Amino acid sequence: MPNIIRNLRSEIKKNKLKTSIFLGLSAYWGIILVSTLVTFN
Amino acid sequence: MEVFLPIAEVSVNILAIFILSGIVGVLSGLFGVGGGFLMTPFLIFLGVPPTYAVANEANNILATSVSGSTTHYLKDTLDYKMGLMIVIGGAIGTIIGIFTFTYFKDIGKIDIVISLAYMYILAIIGTAMLVEGLGEIDKVRKKIFTKKKLHVHYWIHGLPLRMRFKKSKLYESAFTPIIIGLIVGFIAAIMGIGGAFILVPAMIYIIGMPTRLIPGTSLFVTIFVSLIVTFLHAFNYGSIDLILVFLLVTGSIVGVQIGQKIGESVDSTNLKTLLAILLLVVGIAIAYDSFFAEKLVNEVVKIDKNDLNPLSMFIKNLSEDVPFLYGLFSIIFAFSLGIGAAFIRRFFSNLRKKYFKIK
Repeated sequence: MPNIIRNLRSEIKKNKLKTSIFLGLSAYWGIILVSTLVTFN
Repeated sequence: MEVFLPIAEVSVNILAIFILSGIVGVLSGLFGVGGGFLMTPFLIFLGVPPTYAVANEANNILATSVSGSTTHYLKDTLDYKMGLMIVIGGAIGTIIGIFTFTYFKDIGKIDIVISLAYMYILAIIGTAMLVEGLGEIDKVRKKIFTKKKLHVHYWIHGLPLRMRFKKSKLYESAFTPIIIGLIVGFIAAIMGIGGAFILVPAMIYIIGMPTRLIPGTSLFVTIFVSLIVTFLHAFNYGSIDLILVFLLVTGSIVGVQIGQKIGESVDSTNLKTLLAILLLVVGIAIAYDSFFAEKLVNEVVKIDKNDLNPLSMFIKNLSEDVPFLYGLFSIIFAFSLGIGAAFIRRFFSNLRKKYFKIK
């Protein structure tokens, strides 16, 4: 388990750009999906 | 400098419309996209009601696609048979789309439906383009070259009624282009876009057409789809505003020429990522506008007909008294602007060639 976390950390550090884009897109989709649900409820 | 739009009954800034349609035109010329999915939200942000923004942008697309396809007609880079099959599907899709539009308009939900449709379409295209653009940059950096398959087979290729498309050198079911046309027509009717962003990838990856025939055939289809959308909107709702259409067409035709020139000297792969970010930003702006912004109560502008200038009065009277003729007139108007722009372009192109030859 600690190895997986260590590998994950190093992978994230290696691909900072990709990680930040992935997080940005996740947040973006989260906002529009939640807003749609809230509006229609 | 404000101008009052007699049909939409709102005042808009001429310069803002001209600059925005010019910017969208530059993006169209640079990336080969229609630009309707950016211009309609911009019109909504400028205060044009969504119902009018959709209809007038469809009329603008009609003019620009006529202008573009004239060039391809002269170059003979068009597959008419394939184009007509897509148009058959497109016509059915457009009529279904207009019925859906009418349903949501009748229950008073059309504005939110248009906003939501734009928000999700922009989010999907923006995400896909961002991922693809970053992937391409990554491949170039790491010098990875992948050999793409010539043709991938989907369930859609197994449909009956197979026929030969000589120009594209294909033997395929007629249902493939008809189904694609149906989807494009439906979306075009509701959102006021040409649908090239769906049509072009579908022509490449699903139909498997040769790349040189794609832009011309796509524009050929767009003419018919936007023609039906324009006519139905003008006839059913009288929502085409010829003053707005003129401003949009002028701005986008000038912009497209600039975009094409920039495209000749710049590699658009890196810019694709920027366009993707722009689409996502516009998507989030629509989300903010739809969900969080305080809704301003739109006061209905009641202007006496006698206060309008002669041109606005003529447009308003024509739209109210003879909607059928007005629909035809808006189509002829768009065709004239499109063909006129194509000839002006050819004139300047010949002039430049002559000038450089002399030199």
